[in-house]
Amino acid sequence: MIEVSNLVKVFEGRGQTVRAVDDVSTAIAKGEVVVIIGPSGSGKSTFLRCLNGLEEFDDGRVVIDGIDLAGSKTNLNAVRREVGMVFQHFNLFPHKTVLENVTLAQRVVRKRKASEANQKAMALLTKVGIAEKANEYPSRLSGGQQQRVAIARALAMDPKVMLFDEPTSALDPEMVGEVLDVMKQLAREGMTMAVVTHEMGFAREVAQRVLFMDAGRILEDAPPAQFFTAPRESRAQAFLKQVL
Amino acid sequence: MALKHRPATWPWYLLLAAILIGLVTGLWVATKRVHYEWRWERVPQYFAYRAEVPQESPIAGRVSAIQADGALSRVVVTPADGGAPVVLPVETVQVAVGDTLDREDSVGDNHEWRIGPLTQGLWITIWISFVSGLVGLLIGLITGLCRISDNPVLRGLAVIYIELIRGTPLLVQIFIFYFFIGTVLNLDRIVAGIGALALFVGAYIAEIIRAGIQSIAKGQTEAARSLGMSAFQNMAYIVLPQAFKRVLPPLAGQFISLIKDSSLVSVIAITDLTKSGREIITASFATFEIWFTVALLYLVVTSVLSQLLFWLERRFARSD
Repeated sequence: MIEVSNLVKVFEGRGQTVRAVDDVSTAIAKGEVVVIIGPSGSGKSTFLRCLNGLEEFDDGRVVIDGIDLAGSKTNLNAVRREVGMVFQHFNLFPHKTVLENVTLAQRVVRKRKASEANQKAMALLTKVGIAEKANEYPSRLSGGQQQRVAIARALAMDPKVMLFDEPTSALDPEMVGEVLDVMKQLAREGMTMAVVTHEMGFAREVAQRVLFMDAGRILEDAPPAQFFTAPRESRAQAFLKQVL
Repeated sequence: MALKHRPATWPWYLLLAAILIGLVTGLWVATKRVHYEWRWERVPQYFAYRAEVPQESPIAGRVSAIQADGALSRVVVTPADGGAPVVLPVETVQVAVGDTLDREDSVGDNHEWRIGPLTQGLWITIWISFVSGLVGLLIGLITGLCRISDNPVLRGLAVIYIELIRGTPLLVQIFIFYFFIGTVLNLDRIVAGIGALALFVGAYIAEIIRAGIQSIAKGQTEAARSLGMSAFQNMAYIVLPQAFKRVLPPLAGQFISLIKDSSLVSVIAITDLTKSGREIITASFATFEIWFTVALLYLVVTSVLSQLLFWLERRFARSD
């Protein structure tokens, strides 16, 4: 579903260049749940954002469902329709109601009729357990509720892949569970997922593979059981000692 | 003792009242010293007045009868060739029974309400401000978008336009627009006036809109683009609606300035509120009264607009 080869992303600023993603190659199969962990500044979010072209990368290839993101004839908007993304800070549209947040892209991007979009939106809002807030504005919702709406908004496009960029990092602790529950349900339903997170419990329970990143490189790529019990790299060992 | 202690505010209100009374007294004394004679009774006629309209006879003939009918009189004119008589209702009769009339001779006067020059000038001011505000908003929107464009041509043109307009006086711009561009393109003075005002306000609106767009968090655009929206759709559905809501207060200030600045088009002989005022003064010599009235009229228009935009702002605040 996703193939990444020799991906490089360089940030330049004030005379110094940082290779945020440094020659990363990996692949994510259909239906696979991959969790990306690592210390802050390790490039894991940047890597994730390269997967739907939100971050323009400097070198390498990203192929989503057979389409090369950097291809000269690639319509990036068409690729992004198939790749849902959930952000750390939810990024709901504050001037739209919950329902409108979930229907807008369906109507203007997927060109669905209002009735069809509404039906789809209500079904998804029911699924994430927030249908009763459909006509509220996002500012009236708690962080956990907003993040669940954001997941519904992404799912409304019928994506083939879902990217999660630290979806629970901005939440109060008591709200983390409700968001993780929705993500676990998605995983059980066979959604292809790439998740950047600090939730080690989630990684252990749901992920098929854990990627450990540091300084822009993938240092470990292992099933969670193996990664959490016997990490090979010393930096992974040090990281786990701090977070567990 | 309570932690919260409130000093009495009434002495301050008393002081405020004293200052205001002092100012009004000062004004009164000042007009006394220049021996100004107030003639406020002359002002209302410039809003609306009863005009005398002569009633002309459509035919040649003889006044055969004058019938009283309440306040009106009916003058009956019988044509010389013995055709059907014509009945003309008038308020004041200026002919007598037996008079011979030619065609288009007046038989008397009627009165009707006419709009005075102050009302007319006010209307022109509102109309010019409205049209140039609307055009200016469009110019500002396009320029604002060009200003943040990645294309150096669009960005360069936008910057040059904004700097030229903001760096020169509006009065000079109006002269250039009317005498140079207006002559080259053979523009009507109203069109030239509206064009100059629209270009002027557009430059300021462009900067307001640019700031508004840049104040919207990047996450909004990222969310929109991640859903597959194009750059245009992102602007139209996500960024601009939020930016507009945010820039409504400075935009309101700009439109209020525009109404006041529109008084400058009187220099190219557009009879707006200011020019009407000047014309009335030459006829009435009620200088102080007319200028105070003109100022009051501008104040009414700007206050109404400011209330309107305040209401709009509150409506938009529903999602906060």
